[in-house]
Amino acid sequence: MIVCAAHNIISPLGNTSAENYAAVKSGKSALRKYDGLWRLPESFVASLLDRNAFTDERHTIDEQIVIASISKALEQTEIDVRSSKVLFIISTTKGNVFLLDKREKGFTQERVRLGVMAREVTKHFGNHNEPIVVSNACISGVCAQIEAMRYLESGEFDFVIVCGVDVQSAFIVSGFQSFKALSPDECKPFDANRCGLNLGDAAATIIYTKKDKANDNEWVACRGAIRNDANHISGPSRVGEGSFRALRIALSDLDPEKIAFINAHGTATLYNDEMESIAIERAGLADVPVNSLKGYYGHTMGAAGVLETIISMQAVDDHNILGTRGFDTLGVTHHLDVSNQNRSTEKRAFIKLLSGFGGCNAALLMAKGGLK
Amino acid sequence: MKHNVIITPDKVIVDGNELKHNEKGSALLTELYRNHIGDYPKFFKMDTLSKLGFITSELLLNIEGDRDFEPREDRAVILFNRNASLQADTHYQSTIQDPKHFFPSPAAFVYTLPNIVTGEIAIRNKYFGETSFIVIDDYDEQIIMKNLINAFQDPVTTSIIGGWVDCSDEEHFEAKIFLMEK
Amino acid sequence: MDELIYTLKQQIIEALNLEDMKPEDIDENATLFGEGLGLDSIDALELIVMMEKNYGIKLQDPAKGKEIFKSVAVMADFIAKNRTK
Repeated sequence: MIVCAAHNIISPLGNTSAENYAAVKSGKSALRKYDGLWRLPESFVASLLDRNAFTDERHTIDEQIVIASISKALEQTEIDVRSSKVLFIISTTKGNVFLLDKREKGFTQERVRLGVMAREVTKHFGNHNEPIVVSNACISGVCAQIEAMRYLESGEFDFVIVCGVDVQSAFIVSGFQSFKALSPDECKPFDANRCGLNLGDAAATIIYTKKDKANDNEWVACRGAIRNDANHISGPSRVGEGSFRALRIALSDLDPEKIAFINAHGTATLYNDEMESIAIERAGLADVPVNSLKGYYGHTMGAAGVLETIISMQAVDDHNILGTRGFDTLGVTHHLDVSNQNRSTEKRAFIKLLSGFGGCNAALLMAKGGLK
Repeated sequence: MKHNVIITPDKVIVDGNELKHNEKGSALLTELYRNHIGDYPKFFKMDTLSKLGFITSELLLNIEGDRDFEPREDRAVILFNRNASLQADTHYQSTIQDPKHFFPSPAAFVYTLPNIVTGEIAIRNKYFGETSFIVIDDYDEQIIMKNLINAFQDPVTTSIIGGWVDCSDEEHFEAKIFLMEK
Repeated sequence: MDELIYTLKQQIIEALNLEDMKPEDIDENATLFGEGLGLDSIDALELIVMMEKNYGIKLQDPAKGKEIFKSVAVMADFIAKNRTK
């Protein structure tokens, strides 16, 4: 069984998983409008870290929050991080891309390379294994967890440290603006009036290990899958093909009644949320409560898969289905059970669902104490 | 490993046999497209990494034969490189660098993710299976092979198009991909 | 207007990387999206950028784009009436 040994979130809502969960549970968000930031002509709404708080000149902000997040997760364990049986997997879409701006000083261009960024992290911890960087668009965070599961099953490593990270910049924001994909206000996942996504900074870490048995309180990564729509490189499949197929594998023969909720990608774009409603229904999961965390954090891209999995684990630990902040009235053609209120649950499993550019989709089934 | 294709700015090798060609660099990619594909105008919208990966996969699949384009879920496309989407990133950055000439290009932005090449291959061939992209700072065959073998843990995957597809700019690139069966 | 239409065809070919096409190949009354040239959502967004870059016309609503980008002739008409460059 692949078991979660520790986790941490560094985000504008806090520096521990507990702080983050408490903030989300009480409906807080760091989303706000930025006008003229990074010389961008168009304003945007985002959840951003205070860049001034990161003062280590040897590391970029991505590296600093990854190091901080992994450090805090490691503190909860007795792992010898320098061991050759420990693997680092970083999940990121753009890493240090802001360094491509000719105005940026302080680091050489080679730091843009994701492998170089990852090696800065492993070097800090004294680990000599080559780090793996998963860069699979917005599904990277779940993809990286599936990679971790596979590496542990193969027996090659005893611990896999998965850290998802992305930090916003003019590069990323302007790109989404060119796609007219951003909402001018706080986003509204699954809502009838949704009109686009918000963006966010975060780093999130889960440390996985393999055990013969999981005790009742340990979180088990049961199974996951990645599937492609084979349709379009940026628009999701109109029939939710890849998302449905990924869900189908993650669900397998599990009774949907056992699932507390599906934490969807729920980016609040017209097409994504509609597509997910189709995929969820096709998978026979239309009665399972669905939520999205994008209304609290914005879309944290490479961090999303890890961050949202952690918050979901905390929610189940708290017997809670978190409300979808920003949601009011259902605006997708297939009925989904979405609410903006927290609801109670005694169930102990959830599915994390994600989609990304390139037509990729991922689903991960997590169960507290494993599947019984 | 059933088949393999190598493409560099001046060499094209399919299953160990060198293919004759006249051009080098980016012109080579266009030449290969015209000689071996030709019916896919979307090719010209792609960034260099996607063009490279797309052509390499086409040569690989042509050698495998049986191009029926029947949808399948049991074939994965898992690629690796060192530079992620650097060529596309640099191109996109040029559309936003000058505040007086600020015209962010969506067609350029969409390629600023290395996994897009796996999406292009999936779309072309109707592959509903796993697609993924991994970045490591040096070409390491052991790391790649172990990772791909791990990918067979997926309950459906029986076949993988895997390997290295890297590009630092339009004229500097290298692809080495192969077909792996369970 | 003929000159604008010809120039517009060249600009569309360039902006959308329609490598094997020449202006003569595009019928200014043919549908650009769906049938016709088979352009997609990214092409539509790229045309919005092209309109601003070359003619100073800002289109905030991509849905409006669908009407304006119906055909080259419709685009040319819109540009002639709204250009600021």
